[in-house]
Amino acid sequence: MIYLDNAATTKPYADCLERAGQYLIEKYYNPSALYAEGYNLHRELAETHRKMAALIGNNQDYSVIFTSCGTEADNQALFCGGRRGNVVTTSGEHSAVYSCAARLKELGVEVRFAALNPDGSVNADSLLSLVDDKTSLVSVIHVNNETGAINDVNALAKTVKAKNSRALFHSDGVQAFGKIPFRLSPAIDMYSVSAHKIGALKGTGALIKRKSLVLAPYIYGGGQEEGLRSGTENVFGIKMFEYAAVKKYENLKDNFEKVRALNSLLRSALDNGLFKILSPENGSPYILTVGAYGVRGETILHEVNDKGLIIGTGSACSSNSKLRHSRVMQACGVGGELIDGILRLSFCPENTEQEILEAAQILNSTVKNRRDKMA
Amino acid sequence: MEKVIIVRYSEIHLKGNNRGYFERSFAENMEKALRGIKHEIRKHSGRYLIEGFDDELTDEIVARLSKVFGIHTMSVAISVKSDLDEIFRAACKIGPDYGTFKVETHRADKKFPMNSMEISAAIGGRLLDYKPELKVDIHNPQTVIGLDLRENGTTLVFNGMIRGAGGMPVGTAGKGMLLISGGIDSPVAGQMIAKRGMKIECVHFHSYPYTNMQAREKVEELASVLAGYTCGTNLHIVKVTHIQEEIHKKCNGEYMVTLLRRFMMRIAERLALRHGCQCLITGESLGQVASQTIEGMTSSGSVVEKLPILRPLCGFDKNEIIERSRAMGAYEISIRPYEDCCTVFLPRHPVIRPKMEDILAEEAKLDVEALIDEALASTETVKL
Repeated sequence: MIYLDNAATTKPYADCLERAGQYLIEKYYNPSALYAEGYNLHRELAETHRKMAALIGNNQDYSVIFTSCGTEADNQALFCGGRRGNVVTTSGEHSAVYSCAARLKELGVEVRFAALNPDGSVNADSLLSLVDDKTSLVSVIHVNNETGAINDVNALAKTVKAKNSRALFHSDGVQAFGKIPFRLSPAIDMYSVSAHKIGALKGTGALIKRKSLVLAPYIYGGGQEEGLRSGTENVFGIKMFEYAAVKKYENLKDNFEKVRALNSLLRSALDNGLFKILSPENGSPYILTVGAYGVRGETILHEVNDKGLIIGTGSACSSNSKLRHSRVMQACGVGGELIDGILRLSFCPENTEQEILEAAQILNSTVKNRRDKMA
Repeated sequence: MEKVIIVRYSEIHLKGNNRGYFERSFAENMEKALRGIKHEIRKHSGRYLIEGFDDELTDEIVARLSKVFGIHTMSVAISVKSDLDEIFRAACKIGPDYGTFKVETHRADKKFPMNSMEISAAIGGRLLDYKPELKVDIHNPQTVIGLDLRENGTTLVFNGMIRGAGGMPVGTAGKGMLLISGGIDSPVAGQMIAKRGMKIECVHFHSYPYTNMQAREKVEELASVLAGYTCGTNLHIVKVTHIQEEIHKKCNGEYMVTLLRRFMMRIAERLALRHGCQCLITGESLGQVASQTIEGMTSSGSVVEKLPILRPLCGFDKNEIIERSRAMGAYEISIRPYEDCCTVFLPRHPVIRPKMEDILAEEAKLDVEALIDEALASTETVKL
């Protein structure tokens, strides 16, 4: 089976799992407990927090709040950061942010959506024009999960702060963390990440936040994670997250180049009479979104699945939604013959050239065959 | 004091010589509904008693039995020795503390020294003394306390009655093949026919890869909801992708739905005969969509040669169907947004009043028999 749906989730690293296993079997203690076993675990976790923050920013300035997923981190950022005035976000957000924005609207907060460029990145002028002195929070996705377009969130955050220094800036970095070269600049207040997108496990995510930022808790209880996210720590999941993240950052540049080569190989191997490339050239190489002319993406998904290839159609998280067409792709201006046929191909560094060529061949023949039948 | 559930059945008492057959099916269906719960079912002068179960499971037993067709009413009762003091204690326990009430006594035990009027009066009087906020109202009481003095020297004391599902025991009126889609109507149609005692098998048509696995899962869930009322069912799943592709390729697109429905009916009839079903059942409601006009029904019905087609929802409004769907617990599943095979290749303007000669002319472009055989060969059966 060729797996090209790595933006949905990734295969966990076996070596990291093996290392983290001790936290499941031997070091099962509660890190809040007062006996030595618990306290030692608490110390180990404190080190993990520092290490994780250092991977992406200055750990003097940033701390890590572990959550149960990227969605929870986004919820914390939106609901604890944006409860007054207005909130500015984009039409290209993952539903983890978009649905929170919709809920904030119901709660009486004014929510403003910035327009997208055709590649799925946010239109910077549109975004900035929506920010005013009443803006409490701006949230911009780092790498668009449907097209792979990269928003320069450091630059955007700076311009936002220049206009309103009190506005908080949050970015959903789920598709960027561990994948593209990036360091948090001080203008970014909060940044959401997820473990299972980088070879760790579902059930772990984190909100990386500026240390000096005072936030209200999102989940109340025993006061773990600086009091912001109570609940006994998922030690195994967190350690697994750490090992996978460290591994990703040690090889970040090599992985990036490798995946970029795979991406361009697939771009050139797909029949351009059958597919239109929708992802931008300068986007994240980890995501290649294409539109297949005149067929339904889901039909193709099932057919190539039967032939040994796993791909996605847009975001896996919104395929349950009642709206059949992707809200984000529509906001990018994709329509007509293509909107039904959107396929998201997403990579990991472990994919091989052989797999990519085989995948291209399966996709070309399947779409051609289906178009002949539907014609 | 032991808890028992009294089950009274509805129309079986109307039956003559075959009453035994109806009662056996009824008892078997109750056994099936209560599978996995320790209990005993005893027949007792025109009603059934469920006994020997754990107290905490009372509500679950009542909930499961409320789906068994043939049950008119049920009562949760306490069984005590036929002794006025014991009966009074039980009546105190299950009766209300305030409001109006009356006591109704049924005395099968003719050796008991008082008649039913006297027993009612005695227990009612003691209740009035003991609970001063109670009042008697013979004509329109808020609570009826029932006393059932049995011949074996025990008395069942109960508070009111719970309505059962009514109808006839499933299995006493033959077997039918229900065409089930992922929508609201077909499970309701199946439940209505099952209520009159018919055993149900289901057939579902899908168009993988144009439709997805979730759509199939949805149908399986709907069929399981129905199975709760029909003492189980078999779901036959038939792939009609190639039929749709052939129609799309060779015929006028406006006839897609009309032609496909004729295929579905033919396949359903063959499966029905194979599985000993005596009719087809559909969820069609007159005029609801383009294919459910009388012309559409004539067209799809005319290919069914040997069996009658039951369309119990024909005279129902959508709202009435939705109400029934909610009541049976299928609605929330039915409205999940997955596509069934009808919406794939859907023409922009389907023919609403298809003419038979046009249909036949379009159909003549296809190798009907070969396509049916191919679809039948794809059948998978799931037991629910």
